[in-house]
Amino acid sequence: MTKHRTGISRRGALQAGVGLATGAFALPGLARAQATSIKIGILQPLTGALAFDGQAGQLGAEFAIKAVNAAGGVKALGGVNLEAVKGDALSTPEGGVSEVERMQAEGVCAIVGGFASPICLAASQAASRYDLPYIVDVGVNDQIVNRGLKNTFRFGPGSSIVSAQALDNLVKLNDAAGKPIKTIALVHEDGLFGSGLAKLLETELPKRGFEVIESIAHPTPSRDMSNVALQIKAKNPDLVIPSSYYGEFVLLARTMQQQRIKPKGIFAILNGAASNYRFVKEFPEAAENVIDTNHWYDPRNETAIALKKEVDGMGKFFTYNVALNYSAVLLLVDAIERAGSVDRAKITAALETSTFSKHIMPYGPTKFVNGQNTGAAPVNTQVQGGDIKVVFPDAFANAKPIFPVPA
Amino acid sequence: MTVSGARGMFSAYAPILVVAALLALTPLATSANTVLNAMVLALLVALAGQGWNILGGYGGQFSFGHAAFFGTGAYGTALLQARYGLNAYVAFAAAIGAGAAVGAAIGFLSFRSGLRGSYFALVTLAFAEVFRIVANASPFTGGAAGTLLKLDVAPGNFQFASRAIFFWIALALVTLVLILTRAIERSRFGAYLVAIRENESAAQALGIDTFKVKLQAITLSAAVTAAAGAFYAQYFLYVNADIAYGAAVSVEALLAPIIGGLGTAFGPLIGTLALHGLAEGAKALTGRIPGIDVALYGALVVLVIAFAPKGLRGLAARLGRGLSTRWAS
Repeated sequence: MTKHRTGISRRGALQAGVGLATGAFALPGLARAQATSIKIGILQPLTGALAFDGQAGQLGAEFAIKAVNAAGGVKALGGVNLEAVKGDALSTPEGGVSEVERMQAEGVCAIVGGFASPICLAASQAASRYDLPYIVDVGVNDQIVNRGLKNTFRFGPGSSIVSAQALDNLVKLNDAAGKPIKTIALVHEDGLFGSGLAKLLETELPKRGFEVIESIAHPTPSRDMSNVALQIKAKNPDLVIPSSYYGEFVLLARTMQQQRIKPKGIFAILNGAASNYRFVKEFPEAAENVIDTNHWYDPRNETAIALKKEVDGMGKFFTYNVALNYSAVLLLVDAIERAGSVDRAKITAALETSTFSKHIMPYGPTKFVNGQNTGAAPVNTQVQGGDIKVVFPDAFANAKPIFPVPA
Repeated sequence: MTVSGARGMFSAYAPILVVAALLALTPLATSANTVLNAMVLALLVALAGQGWNILGGYGGQFSFGHAAFFGTGAYGTALLQARYGLNAYVAFAAAIGAGAAVGAAIGFLSFRSGLRGSYFALVTLAFAEVFRIVANASPFTGGAAGTLLKLDVAPGNFQFASRAIFFWIALALVTLVLILTRAIERSRFGAYLVAIRENESAAQALGIDTFKVKLQAITLSAAVTAAAGAFYAQYFLYVNADIAYGAAVSVEALLAPIIGGLGTAFGPLIGTLALHGLAEGAKALTGRIPGIDVALYGALVVLVIAFAPKGLRGLAARLGRGLSTRWAS
């Protein structure tokens, strides 16, 4: 390199000085009047054990951001576009916290996502240090909203809402079919959601006239479910309630199919596979007639239908993560619009009083009580003819339940 | 003390204090919490690795189950506070004690049975797994839901608004263990440990009570790793079975010293800083391709094992020697 290029010339220094000075005067006004974009943090586990769910969640958030920008950005702020600051939580809580710190440094006005409860617990807490609004997409652990963090909002239903709804719907379903179900076997993974749910069901099901004849725990991951299937075969229950992640339930359903174990129904709660298009596509026979109680999109909503078509077109699966994150980003945008600002306290206040209803979920209008959206509810889906239909509640159903399953 | 003794003291401990002092300036150089948080995480792993290094690096007893100690520290401090309302600092100290006790118990059982090498490694792995399963199932530990510590930011609760304070505390712990390790290196106990590493039967023949020495080493090692666990719980205010007793912790605890330099005081710290620095750098350079850091981790481990079996510290020393001989000739 030549010498005169490395040194700073007098003219260069002057230009830089003038530039800086004008910048310093102009910048505050400029920043207030029209920020170039509004940054929102999209936190998902993109690698590790939860990568499948995390990538789907990120996809949903991206679609929402694209939709908002295509419709003219955030109008209250003069049509400013949204910009995603994406983060990979590495499927661990500390990974989530690291990304929250980075998002804070990059100046996001809120964070959406988390997926798994441990990630949501740690990440929302890290965000609370900065009063940074945090919208939980899935994480169903009730401690997430019960800690009293002012910044944390959960758009989807928590496990207490889901399990209460599941029990109610099971009773209704059974009554409508002439009470064919008397005995039940529980199959659950031995982690956070499986064991918690099993404990609850063991006490609640007998109160509703069902007999729990077996409760089988299995670890995640499990590479063979034949023992579980054999135990079910030996007990011959009317109904099987499985609460497992994707791989284990697929294995179980296939093993049951191979061994010709045919209970009167499989009624899953927050199952990782029972309402997953991948499972239906890959193992249509094993999946047929399986009922799930889970997050799901509103099958009558036109935006949801269009979005599903687009996701299908990409060769990806339209899981509930897509719909939930799509809706959660829109919820945030609605709050920013009403706050008329990217000020964190104002966004938090706007979320607290939100009545947002332009989501694509089978929920009523949004209403947060202690951070939990009380308008949120799960639905019952059933695999029918190679497709996933909503069978409960009637307000959102697009098919009648097939129950009990014909032998 | 003789003059040469004092000089020896100086050359032994001065580098530790210099490194600690330099690292302590980090929060002054950057106020970015991203950096501080990454540094706290790195120091945490370094601390866990330092614990492993005492037993594995100096004593040659490779444990695959240091998660058992990390987890006991983490659960110890969390449960004592959440269940019994103990003061956070008292709980922290008690958790380290609990970790040491678990270390002594596992050591007693496995060393008494004369387990060496891969058998010892497998037994420690099994212990950690058993702890994980029990913690996951037991209502006492909160089962699979884990234990959540109340967020109540106050210095009295060992919770600070500023990440810098956590950083300094983590650094103080790491420095303390650096000094401890150096002291072990220079002590009779350290010489016994190395003798056992090099040839246990020969050490025994020379009259070293190998059982006692190994038991002391695993207790100390467990206490240090438990401190890392307790600090983790205090920093994130949440533990569950996978975080505390998961295999990932055991792997990280042994990876750091192996990369940095087995059986050296600075090995674990160098190893973690290199690994984490590389991971963060890779993430920043590649525009955050998911999983790139993990892939680089793997590549680095392969490279170090293939070309620098004595770790990065050994590599640096070898390069240094190579240069000095070239200059000399």
